[in-house]
Amino acid sequence: MFSRLLPRSATRSALQAQNQAPHFVRASPVTAQLSERIRQRRGYATPAEEKDLVIIGGGVAGYVAAIKAGQEGLKVACIEKRGVLGGTCLNVGCIPSKSLLNNSHLYHQILHDTKNRGIDVGDVKLNLANMMKAKETSVNSLTKGIEFLFKKNNVEYIKGTGAFADEHTVAVRLQDGSETSVRGKNILIATGSESTPFPGLTIDEKKVITSTGAIALEKVPKKMVVVGGGIIGLEMGSVWSRLGAEVTVVEFLGQIGGPGMDAEISKNIQKTLSKQGMKFMLNTKVVKGDDSGEDVKLEVEAAKGGKAQTLEADVVLVAIGRRPYTANLGLENIGLETDTRGRLVIDSEYRTKLPHIRVIGDCTFGPMLAHKAEEEAVAVVEFITKNYGHVNYGAIPSVMYTHPEVAWVGQNEAELKEAGVKYKVGTFPFSANSRAKTNQDTDGMVKFLADAETDRILGVHIVGPNAGEMIAEGTLALEYGASTEDVGRTSHAHPTLAEAFKEAAMATYGKAIHY
Amino acid sequence: MRSTRALFAQRQPLIKFLGKRHTPKAEEIDHAPHAHPASPSHELPESFASYRGRAQQHGPLGGQQQQQQSSSSQSTSSSRQGAPSGSAAAQTSKPYGAIGGHSGKQLGSVQPKQGEFWDRNELPRRFHRTQWTEAEMEALESGGASIVA
Repeated sequence: MFSRLLPRSATRSALQAQNQAPHFVRASPVTAQLSERIRQRRGYATPAEEKDLVIIGGGVAGYVAAIKAGQEGLKVACIEKRGVLGGTCLNVGCIPSKSLLNNSHLYHQILHDTKNRGIDVGDVKLNLANMMKAKETSVNSLTKGIEFLFKKNNVEYIKGTGAFADEHTVAVRLQDGSETSVRGKNILIATGSESTPFPGLTIDEKKVITSTGAIALEKVPKKMVVVGGGIIGLEMGSVWSRLGAEVTVVEFLGQIGGPGMDAEISKNIQKTLSKQGMKFMLNTKVVKGDDSGEDVKLEVEAAKGGKAQTLEADVVLVAIGRRPYTANLGLENIGLETDTRGRLVIDSEYRTKLPHIRVIGDCTFGPMLAHKAEEEAVAVVEFITKNYGHVNYGAIPSVMYTHPEVAWVGQNEAELKEAGVKYKVGTFPFSANSRAKTNQDTDGMVKFLADAETDRILGVHIVGPNAGEMIAEGTLALEYGASTEDVGRTSHAHPTLAEAFKEAAMATYGKAIHY
Repeated sequence: MRSTRALFAQRQPLIKFLGKRHTPKAEEIDHAPHAHPASPSHELPESFASYRGRAQQHGPLGGQQQQQQSSSSQSTSSSRQGAPSGSAAAQTSKPYGAIGGHSGKQLGSVQPKQGEFWDRNELPRRFHRTQWTEAEMEALESGGASIVA
């Protein structure tokens, strides 16, 4: 009522000053709280707290969306419960595993592959603690980098656990124990995924581990069994195999690398990894496990039934896949539904049935890949701000960072056969590539699959050194709808590994020169 | 040089420059919900349509369904939601309608018709008058003393 005494042109701060209690009255904390509650309920001079976009999850999907939204001028808040940004990828996934893969490869190479290169090496020892420190240094610098980018793009970073209170409000339990809530015109769920547990085995991250434990073991295990021969299992199996563990991979399917990997490429990498010392048991299922003793015992048998045998290991890595993480998100408070595999159901613009609530990343449809989540993060903000966005799910590359690396994009032979598409194949081995020869790193090949009539590229599959970098060219070609002839007639520098890519394209529509 | 020209006269590369960038206008974009391209079922659950059938957000969300409901119902509140009969919106073939349904202009006047009256309590709850709490009443009756006591 006092505000009426002020002229209309008075500033908001002057009005707020009127609402404050007189200085000579000392209100108790309880009464002050009550007063504040009344004030907020009635909406008296309460500053608007509603954000344009509230993001739950500060992983790759969430933090990229937050930065993009900040760049587009939205008022944005990002809620992350881990205490550090970057999610699984930066903290316990892609980044730390790449650090270990790179350094364990260096160690393995120094130990076994220097004599033929004219390098005499003395006593080589593994310092696992320092290798882990190097990993942590890489991780810390990257996560701090994201915090800097948040500040640069005016993103409010809320450290706490968010849950839906209603359709526009997210209640946050802050890390310091207090509670707050944040309202958003738009809300983005980007809570990611977690490792799928194996029934009968208790994950303790010491003896029975997931990928999280596999990047933090304190000593090299003597025997390690990897349950699941997908990308995560093979990468982490490679690390510990190089560092001295006897690694056995148990895979239910008839090939390693997961269902997306081309069968020919899968056989090729299995042969190479076997030469490196890894053992494989394909078409084999784990019937039960016993982790009560010092070692872990796994009973396995042929997938189609057969004689059971027992495997013993001091560490068992469970790498049978990941599942969406939406626990304690308060989905029941707003009636959001998940499908049978726990993925939040969305439409083509990432909207749930509540159009202002969108979902991206691992907790919804599509492959659980960080770069897929990043693409979706940019697209979803563009849908909010510009009405359009773009992600081509047919051109998302996959990479396995073993040595040699495996990478692919588009369809594989089995998928094309199933779809009844007539296709032609062109391959080129790295053993015929000049740069691979000079590097003494000639395992692997490049394989193109193209439409038999139009020559349009349908899939590119690579196993070989630097395959993860090389697949970018294949993805670009696929995205642009290129033919193998387009690639084959494009100049590639000499001597490079990329020449193998060009020659495989040439082999598809004509003939390769060097093979 | 000559040989390159001759080569490209025979062959058209699949990669082509698409020209100057074209930004689609809002009316060129269909925002009706479609199944996500990576969805295994390739269809949206019924809940998407049913939510849009009843929800209001920046205007009614429902398209055709919304209009059918409004034409069949004569209640005062639903008369605001339906588009005028014969409008372009009524002929839409979109099963869900777009976000926002139709423009405010298409929905007609927000004023009640002659002889028609609306009650605040018929509106969604957020438009209702805020109830006085015990603490507020006490604060009023005590002249504000209870707040600082």
